[in-house]
Formats: sequence, C-alpha cells, structure tokens
Amino acid sequence: MTALSVPPTRAWTLDRVSGLRARPGTVVALAVVAFIVLAALVPGLLTSHSPNAIDLQHSLGKPSLAHPFGTDAAGRDLFTRVVYGTRQSLGIGLGATALAMFIAIVLGFSAGLAGGWVDVVITRVLEVAFAFPVLLLALLLISIRGPSMGTELIAVGIGSAPGYARMVRGQVLNVRESGYVEAAGALGHPRRTVIRRHLFPNAMRPLVAVMTLGVGQSIVWASGLAFLGLGVAPPSPEWGALLDSGRDYITTQWWLEILPGLLIVVVALAVTSLGRTLQHRLEGASR
Amino acid sequence: MNTSLHRLAVIGAGAALAGGLLTACGSSGSDATGSGTPVKGGTIVYAHEQEPPCIFGGWIQQAYISRQVLDGLVTEDDNNAVKPWLATSWKVSPDGRTYTFTLKPGVKFTDGTPLDAAAVAYNFDYWENKGGNSTAKVSMDPYYKSAKALDPTHVQINLTSRYTPFLTLITQGYFGIQSPTALKNHSQQQNCEKPVGSGAFTVADWKHGQEVILKRNPNYTSWPATAEHQGPAIVNEVDWKFVADGVTRYSSLTTGQSNVVYDVPTTDWAQARSKFDTTLYITPGKPVSAYLNTIKGVFTDKLVRQAFSYGADRKAAVETGFHGVIPYEGNGAVSQATPDYDAAAGAAYAYDPKKTGELLDQAGWTGRNSAGYRTKDGKELDVKFPYPAGAVINAEGSTVLQVLQQQWKKVGFNVKLIPATQAEVFSGKYSGPDAYDATPFYWTSPSPSILWIVWRPSTTADPNGNNESFYNNAQLGQVINGANTATDPAKAAALYKQAQQIISDNAATLPLYDQNSTYATSKSLKDFWLEKSQGEPVFSDAYFVK
Repeated sequence: MTALSVPPTRAWTLDRVSGLRARPGTVVALAVVAFIVLAALVPGLLTSHSPNAIDLQHSLGKPSLAHPFGTDAAGRDLFTRVVYGTRQSLGIGLGATALAMFIAIVLGFSAGLAGGWVDVVITRVLEVAFAFPVLLLALLLISIRGPSMGTELIAVGIGSAPGYARMVRGQVLNVRESGYVEAAGALGHPRRTVIRRHLFPNAMRPLVAVMTLGVGQSIVWASGLAFLGLGVAPPSPEWGALLDSGRDYITTQWWLEILPGLLIVVVALAVTSLGRTLQHRLEGASR
Repeated sequence: MNTSLHRLAVIGAGAALAGGLLTACGSSGSDATGSGTPVKGGTIVYAHEQEPPCIFGGWIQQAYISRQVLDGLVTEDDNNAVKPWLATSWKVSPDGRTYTFTLKPGVKFTDGTPLDAAAVAYNFDYWENKGGNSTAKVSMDPYYKSAKALDPTHVQINLTSRYTPFLTLITQGYFGIQSPTALKNHSQQQNCEKPVGSGAFTVADWKHGQEVILKRNPNYTSWPATAEHQGPAIVNEVDWKFVADGVTRYSSLTTGQSNVVYDVPTTDWAQARSKFDTTLYITPGKPVSAYLNTIKGVFTDKLVRQAFSYGADRKAAVETGFHGVIPYEGNGAVSQATPDYDAAAGAAYAYDPKKTGELLDQAGWTGRNSAGYRTKDGKELDVKFPYPAGAVINAEGSTVLQVLQQQWKKVGFNVKLIPATQAEVFSGKYSGPDAYDATPFYWTSPSPSILWIVWRPSTTADPNGNNESFYNNAQLGQVINGANTATDPAKAAALYKQAQQIISDNAATLPLYDQNSTYATSKSLKDFWLEKSQGEPVFSDAYFVK
C-alpha cells in the first residue's frame, strides 16, 4: 500500500464537501445513512412495534402494509427488528473502526515519528498481524471471551487495525519529509507544535475517507460473524443474526433472508459510496 | 471420563434406541410405490448434518454411521422385540444375571479374522473397562460384571444383578462389534477413522469436512433378522456427506445431487412430503428438555422451578417453531416414543401464567423492578440459559427458546439465552453447577432405563456426572433401580412411570420437544429404512430403480 500524496492544505471543512450534493448517487447514499442514523438513535420514530414482541398467530407472514418486511417464525415484525438492529450493527461498525483507528494512530505515529528500532519492531509486528485473517482472529477472540457485541467490536477492530496502522505510518513518514514541516522546524516551532498543527492533521486527512470505508467493511464483517452464530445473543436483532435466523427460510419465506441481506448491502454500499466521495473531494481539494 | 468425552456422551447418549415411533409417510407423487426396474450397484449419496470426531463412539451421530460398518449381537424390530443378529439365539438364567449368546458360525471381520465368542467378550471388556464407548459403559453400569467365551460360538455375559433392559440396550449402535486384532494392532487414529467390523460396508476413505466413503463388503454374511433382503449390500458405495446447513442439505436432494437427506428443515417438510419419500422418527429416551440446576441459583427452590414450567406456553411455541412437524413433549424424563411413557407426567405444567405468579409470590419473589422482572431481597429473578446451538438445538429450536424467553419475561423471569458452539460444549465450558441455571439436552435410549443414567443420585462414592440437574433423590434412585431389576414387566412399567412422576412433580427438568430424525429420500431409491432402537439409517437393503 502506498502512502497517499499529501501536499499542505487547510483542514477540510463541510463547505468543501458540500459540492457532493450535485451527485444523485451521493444524495441517495446520504439519505440511506441519515435513515440508519435515525434508526439507531430513535428507532421508535420509525416503527410502533417492539422488536421482540411475539405473535404466534401471525408467524411467517408475507410482507404487507402492516408488516412491510413480513414476520419471522416467532411472528416478530421483521422491519421493526431491522430498525432496532441498526443500533447494534452501526455501533459495531463505528466502534470497531474507531478502535482500529486508535490502535493505528498509536502504532503508526510511534513508528513514523520514532523511527529506528521502534519503527522496525512495529513494522514487523504489523506485517505479521496483517498476514493474519480478520475472521480467524475474530474466531480466536470469540473462543476466549465468548460471543457478544463487545467481542465482535474488539475482534473486528483489532483485526482491521494493522491495515490502518501501516497507512498511518506511511502518511506520517510522507508528511514528515515534506517541505512545510521542515520549514516549520526551521522556523523554530517546537516539535510538539509541529506534530499537532502540521503533521497530525495532514497525515490524518486522507484517512478520514478510509475510515468511512472501514465502517461499511466492519458492518459486513460483524454481520458475517453473527451469521456464523458467533455474534450477539438472541433475541438480538443485529443484522447478521437476522440473516442467520432467516437462512433456513430462504427457499420458502424469502423475505426473512433477502430483506436483511439487501439492507446490509445497501448500507455498506451507501457508506462506501460516501467514503469514496469524501476521498475524491479531499484529494480534489488538495490538488 | 474426561469432560469432553463426557459431553459427547451426554449429547450422544441421547442417541438411544428402541421404542421409537417410526412413521413412514408415503408421498403422493406420481411415481407412487416401487415402480421401476430394480438395478444392482450404484452409489447412494447421503447428506448428513453432523461430522463426528470418530466413526465409532458414544454420540448418537457416531452410532448412525458406525452401524454401516459394525454388526451388533441383537437388534430390535418395529414392535420393540429383540431379534437375532450376530447372535442367533440367547438364554437368560433364572436369576437374570447370566446371558448366554449363541453366535452365527463362520462370520468374519473384514480383516479376515473370525468374529467368534472371544471377539465378542473382548469388545464388552473394551467398552466397559478400556474406554471403548462411554455410552455403552453407562448403559451397563453398574450391572455389568464380566464376559466370557465358553467356546467359539457361545459367549456368556455376567451381570451383578438382574437387569431387565439389558438386551434392549445392547441393540444400540454403541454395541457394534469390532475386530480385536484391529483394536490391538491398529493405531488409535486408524481405529477412529476406519474401524474394522463385519458390517455390510467398510470405510474406504474419510475426507474430513466433506464425506466418508463407504464401500460394499462383498463377503457380508451377518445381516440382522430385520433385514429387508439377505446378502451383501445391493449398492456398491454410500457417500456419507457432511452438510451442516439445512437448506443446502435439502437443496442437494431437490437438485438431484443426493439421494437421501437427514434432518429436513421443518419449513420444507410439506414440500418434501409431496415430492419425496419421507420418514419422521421420534427418538425414544430423554427428549430435548432443559436440566434445571437444583443445587445453585434460583432453581434450588422447587416452587421457582414449577413457576418456570408453568410460565411459558411451550406447546404453542414448539408447534409454531417447528411448523407443526416435531411434537411438543410435556414429559421431560422420557419421550412419548419410549416404552412405559407416563402420559400424566406429559400433561403436567400446561401454560398457566396465573399459577406462575402465585408460586413466585409463595417463593418470596414478590417484588418487581423497573424492567418488570420479579425480585427477592433486591435480587432479580435471573436465569442463565446456555444451549448447544447447531448440533443439538437447531435454528428452529432456537426460535422456540426465543419465544419462551419473551413469555417468561412477562411473568417476571429474566432469561439470558447463550448459544454455545459445539467446541464450547465439548470443552465443558457450560458444565457444572456454576455454569447454568437451565440448559437443554437430549439423551436417546430404546429403554426407560435411560432414567437410571440421567437421574441416578450422585454420591461421593458413586458420582453420576450425567445427572445434570444435580437432583439427588434417593427415593427416585430406588424406584428406577426397582424397575431395572423387576421380573414382572407390569411392575417395571409401574415403577418407571412412578419415576417419571417424581421427576415431573419436582420439576427437575423443563420439557420442550421430542428428539427426532427426519429423512427425505429420492423416489428412485427403495428400501432405505431406519432401525427401531434409535433410528440408525440402514443402507444395506437399499437399491435404485430406473
């Protein structure tokens, strides 16, 4: 992975990003993200049902006006479960990415700034960790800690950290060698100020987009773990768990599998699309 | 027995034989019955679910496959009568302590060595004293004493006292006879993967994670009295595939990639019945019922156990969760397919939330916290409920538990469902009194003497690790032992029923549903059947038609 080219620039601001409204795809992506954020924060606004309310008289109901996503084997409203599952799925996505980024910043900046043997050790460790599949690491953690939302978050977070850390290190090295950082040093700015005002914002700027992409990826990974029955405990409506429980019905009650599956795809696409737009905007802004 | 083996035994032992209710549901398709020309040879592709650690062992999943390779002394017919297999006849001494079996002469193991009385005696010693089969062992303990070859065709089994279920119990696949030469000379790994018996098939190859290839034994001479035909297997090969996912398994049949599939998802059952030949077998023995921890936690109080039993509509949950295919079982001690089943125990604890409230009040759980859960002295009424997800409690069973969880919530129980992976279960993570308040398991057996294995009191001198409700009731132990050693079948039945009543009255286990096997078979395959004791599939009579 090569470090992104980063000429000096002011930190990005919202007005710079606002140009993305012109692209319909981005507007749709924004709408999807806004919807899931709303679902995560105030699920009660979007549905009046309870995600765990059992209704044995109406089990395996087809999608209808009353139940837009149909009902599952226990008669629970699938749309409600999807809405209430957002908090967990999005929480894992954001939390895992934040954790990964925190680890990446600590390791990447330590390696990039300290250099020497610190850099060598961290880089070797990262290379080893990078070769370790995320899923395998997650399985290891789950076998030690038992399946839970926290474990999923930590597993996906730690699993994706090495990739980010290598990027951060590359960025730090790149920015550290740039003329404006050298100039700041030559002008007598204290090292701490140079790091805080120049190095950190400029090294991190391209990573904002990468992080956004990571959220989508983390949601998919977490869903994958839950699909394997290694996620949160039932009756949690976490999206992967919904996929897992819908699996047996794919040929008979398709909506139990297809609708949550589609949702995961749409959300991951929307978040990824936003990340890409952000990336283009930021790169564009720096040109 | 180490923990993992013990857990294997628990799960597997669930695999007991006998009194199963075998219902062949003929399909109504156009290719009605037996039409077509029978052909010799061919390969049966069979899609199973669970891949066992070894071919032979104490788990029912092992009995299913080891039966293809190993023969037993006796077998059971559809009326629960014990019939000849390797033993052509047997005599029981008047005191019920000595069984003398006469063996079919000239039978050879597939390694060429003779299957004689010495080989049978060696196997009994192997199961009982050398860790050969944990379920065979607990099925005979403490009644088994010794085995002796009287001459090449007569073997004598000595018991410590009368043990009436003995013959029925040894019809199970755990009692398959292996070549002593192979047991002595082959490595443990070889005997695990390719046990040598006298059966209709031999293990040719085991591609782990995929399939076991079973090849026809052309020299087969020892078919059971219940066989549909006499002679070696008609097909050349059975490819015993492991397909864990139910939809994929069933799809393999609908797309013609397999000829027989096990554990049809109940949501596909109606379609399977219309397109294929289907079999629903209710396995006798302990049904899927939850052990309630009687020595630690909230269920130490009998009133709370009873309140819990009344507190959810288990019948409706099971009927909905399994789409009306798998029967609800109200008797947590033995399933309705088990001889001497007590229907009164099966009718106990019908859903009654009002009664739950009264019992909890009586037990002192009178408070309610903000979440609506009952409290006592500030402590919430919590139930830790780990369950073996997948291999024991499938997706449909998990739905049933989630339905019950919501109903228990309404009456004040905070039930925490914890799906445990197969690795966690086998490692013993959820074993012992600190690990759970309730946890469901089955343990199949063709005899109500399964009660002895599961409920025999555990003492320091004679611990019983299989009593996972930790329910020590000396009277219960005496009643079951009385039934095991009774000479009069009517008296034995009355005592077995009394034992079921005691277990039910004390709510020592929470009944859920019957352990079962469902099969769907392509119409081009005939005479595939399940033996009676625990539903072991039999491929040696099966043939294709075209």
